[in-house]
Amino acid sequence: MGLPYAADCLVGSPRVVLLPMRAEQLRGHLDALLLAALEDGPRHGYAVIEALRRSTGGRLDLPTGTIYPALRRLEQAGLITGSWSVVAGRQRREYRLTPAGKRALSGKRADWRDFATMVSAALEGKPWPSPA
Amino acid sequence: MAEPRLIGGYLSELSAQLPAPIVAELADGLDQTYQHYLDQGLGPDAATRAALAEFGEPHIIVAAFTRASPARRAARRLLMTGPIVGACWAAALTVNRAWAWPVPGAARILLGTALITAIGLLAAAAFGKHYRPAGRAAAAGCVGMAALDAAMLIAATLAAPAVIWPVMAAATASLVRITFTTRTLHSVLTG
Repeated sequence: MGLPYAADCLVGSPRVVLLPMRAEQLRGHLDALLLAALEDGPRHGYAVIEALRRSTGGRLDLPTGTIYPALRRLEQAGLITGSWSVVAGRQRREYRLTPAGKRALSGKRADWRDFATMVSAALEGKPWPSPA
Repeated sequence: MAEPRLIGGYLSELSAQLPAPIVAELADGLDQTYQHYLDQGLGPDAATRAALAEFGEPHIIVAAFTRASPARRAARRLLMTGPIVGACWAAALTVNRAWAWPVPGAARILLGTALITAIGLLAAAAFGKHYRPAGRAAAAGCVGMAALDAAMLIAATLAAPAVIWPVMAAATASLVRITFTTRTLHSVLTG
């Protein structure tokens, strides 16, 4: 049985539950998450997924098979580069950030901070922080 | 360790639709997912089911790879830039009164049919959900577009009464597209 969805949590259950982060919520942010997962060094696909799980507290709710095409797309865009090795008789593809990928990650982080600050200000009634 | 039968079947389904290097990468990831569930204490059957459920349905994975494929990207770029190249040639042909050129009617019909076919192939590649058919359609569309550009360049060279700037602009646009399709074709075919 999977984790309950938002609707399940709105009918009076007193338990604290972790809501799964679904594909539609991640749209537009998956590239940044994948780039961030590669920031500490090269990783193969499964290690990227594990890193994403850790960084999202296990709330990532994506078919993990779809992470691999996203990595290919980032590779075609020149943001990461892949190389093959053989581990325990299996071919394994490892990815690392390119300089363009590092720049893209910095940009996406800055965009996210702006976006999160704006939404927080709007939802919580906080004043928009004045520029330093 | 021998691969469970269900995982073998799952990979066979992917192999029928995706290139071998992609399937090799997925097989490695699926094997690690399976091992992860074994390490969590599940039995082989339960670990297999959990790994496959976590990976997702094959058709979802194939569709995701198709969306990210070089074929789809190339087809969409050609479809988006096509109207610009077409407008350049329309201007060049109009200014040069191309309807008066000594080009046989059959050649005109052939050119028009080839153009419609190439656009259709590129549209199939740009919006198709199946990896290999999209790749074949994109490759054929790229070759068709490059051949059409070459035909237009030859026709303009032989039949245009004067090389004026609209012809130069259209020829340049076609040369750029020939260069793009030639460079892209390799990644589309090996994608």
